Formats: sequence, C-alpha cells, structure tokens
Amino acid sequence: MTLSGVIAKIISLAMISIFTQNAIFDRAFGANVAIYASRNDRHVTGFTFGVTAMTTIASVVTYFIDKPMLALPNGYYFMPLIYIGVIGVLYVAGLFVLWKFFHKTYKNVRKYAHLAIFNCAVIGALFLNSNYGSDLPSYIGYGFGSGVGFFLACFLLNIAHERLDSDKIPRIFRGYPIMLIYIGIMSLALNILIGYTADF
Amino acid sequence: MNKSKRSVSLDGLLRQNIVLMSGLVTAPIIVAATSGERALVLVLSFFMMSYTSILLCRFIPRKIVYSVRTMLYAVVAAGLFIPTVVLLEKWFPETTKNVMLYIELLTVNSLLLAKTETRFYLKPYGAMAVDAFIYVLGYALAAFIVGIIRELLAFGTFFGMRWFDPLMPAAKSPFFGFMLVGILAAVCRAVTGKRVSAKKKLSRDRRGEGTI
Repeated sequence: MTLSGVIAKIISLAMISIFTQNAIFDRAFGANVAIYASRNDRHVTGFTFGVTAMTTIASVVTYFIDKPMLALPNGYYFMPLIYIGVIGVLYVAGLFVLWKFFHKTYKNVRKYAHLAIFNCAVIGALFLNSNYGSDLPSYIGYGFGSGVGFFLACFLLNIAHERLDSDKIPRIFRGYPIMLIYIGIMSLALNILIGYTADF
Repeated sequence: MNKSKRSVSLDGLLRQNIVLMSGLVTAPIIVAATSGERALVLVLSFFMMSYTSILLCRFIPRKIVYSVRTMLYAVVAAGLFIPTVVLLEKWFPETTKNVMLYIELLTVNSLLLAKTETRFYLKPYGAMAVDAFIYVLGYALAAFIVGIIRELLAFGTFFGMRWFDPLMPAAKSPFFGFMLVGILAAVCRAVTGKRVSAKKKLSRDRRGEGTI
C-alpha cells in the first residue's frame, strides 16, 4: 500500500468512527464520562486529549496482540485482561512522564486521569477494532477517530449544557435526564443523516 | 439511628440509582437492554463481575497509590470476566454472544472505579457488602424496566412470549434507549423528590464539581 493509500485509509476510518459509528451517539460508550466532562470547558479538553491519545496509541499496540490472541481457541476470554494491561501500562507511563516533566499538569490531572483513561470509550474502541479492524492503518484511523468522535460529542453537550440546565427546563428533567434525551435526539439525527442502523 | 442507617443503605435502589440517577453505568442499558432476557444477562454479568470485584478489591492495600489502585480494580474485573462469560455462555449462549461487547465493557464501569473509593470502601466490610448489593439491585431494576418496555414496544413479546404485534420497532435503537432512560431518570427524580436548584447546580458544575 502506498503512503497516500495508508493516509486515505486512516482518514476514511477516522471519519466512520467520528460520524457513522460515533462512540457516544451510536454505542453510548463513555456517555456518563462525556456528560460529566461536558459540564466544564477545561474537562472537555483534558478528557478528550486523554481519550484520543489512549485510543490511538493503544490501538497501535493492540494491533500486534489481537491477531495471535484471537487465533487461539477461546482467546477472546482473555482480551479484556490484555486490553486493561495495555491501557494500564500506557496510563502509568503517561502519568510518569507528566510527573517527571510537567509536574504542574500532573497535579491538575491526577484526580481525573483514571476517569479519562479507564472508561468505555477507550476500551470500547479497542474491542471494535478487534472486531472490524483489518490492518494497522484501519486500527490507527478507528482509534484516532473514536477520540475525535468523543470530542465532538463532548463539545455538542458542552454548548448545550447551560441551556439544558436552565430554569426553562422542568425541574425533574434538568441536568442528567434532559442530557440523555438530548443525546438521544442527536443520535436519531445522525442515524437519519447517515441512513445507518447499529446492530444492537 | 437504625432508621437512618437503613435509609442510607437503600440509597442505591432509587435515590442514587447508578443508571437512572447518577448515570454511572449507562451504556449496556441504553444500547444492549432491548429485551427482558438481554437485561437478565446484563444483570447477571454485572453482579458476577462488578459486585464480586468490589468484594475482592477491598483487600487491595490502601498504601498503593490511588492511580495504580483503580487500575488494579479493572484488572480484577477483567479476571472475573472469564468465569462470568463461561457460565453465561452455558446458560444463555445466543443472548450472551449478542451482548458480549457490553459485558466486556463492564471491566471499566464507574461503580467499581469511582464509587468504591468515594463510598463503599469507607464502610466496614459487612455494611459495604450490603450497600454494594443494593446498588446492584438498583442496576437490575433499571435494566429490567428498560428491557421489558423496549421488548414490548419493539417486538410485542415478554421474555420471548408473544403478546401482541410490535408497536414501535425503533424502540430497540440506541436513540430510543437514550430517550427512555432520560424519561425514566426524570420519573425517578419525581418519585424520590431529588430536585437540584438550577443556579446552585450550575455554579457547582462551573467549579468542576459533581459526581461521576
């Protein structure tokens, strides 16, 4: 495959995971984390960076693990353990780098880092890669796109947050319930726009 | 005193329901709980993985730094995934295969990674075991309500038994799951009377506080 072919594949897979198979709108991966992060502008940036970095790097690592593991009889029993191991090693390494070279950032993120890393959006992207990914560019594209899709969802929730939490919303719907209904409407809109139906 | 103890331990059922009130574990319910049997499989897997993990992870020394401790919780849950899936594949082979992705995701659920540190592990072991079990019952309640409503609407069946023609096939879609859980969350708030002042909540959110 030529370099332009590789880049084209990465971009097309990224687009699929951002729009047609958005982690939150289509699969609800990390919906709770996105709702939490969307309440605060700084959290949107921080969580998105953590999720995108982890889905991309972990996708590269798991590409080399998936094929031999899934070829084994009942190999899929061990995949969660392996993925947690991969994410865990990257998480500790990331924290170490922050602690060593960006101590102030480390102090700010250490309380929330595990929420940005150990969540359904990250591990879900790895499982979808193992199901649908065929080669390294598709793993990278899907992993990176999952993080960007998470950002898109967080951003859309963030801009709607103040309005959805206002006095104009009936009290019992304010906050979490109306956020879910809003995500449902966005999910419906994306489904109609794309004409795509998830198999679940 | 006894009364207050009892009310605290029942919080997980409605007032702090992890699906309908705090939204800690939503993905499996919103996407995969489209029938009663699927809800049952999700509840059993949640019980076997999360509840057992909470009980086991209590023995992880508190001396280990928080960042590494949460990672170990996920490792324990991932280890418990193996016996859980082996059993579920024997009992419900087809349904387990269909919801497998959402069983795998339970290894990183927020009840285990967040609630343990802020609530369960602050209590004595026995009280913690009861409290965590109530939270699992709260999850089961939400899963069955969502699963049964969607099965009736989407397929016209109740645990596979045909009652009437499907009324709304789209009820099995994720967008319907979001909306249904949102409406049930509002109903749950109305029932428990948990209402937060908009101003108070907004200022709290701006400071970056809140629950997850």
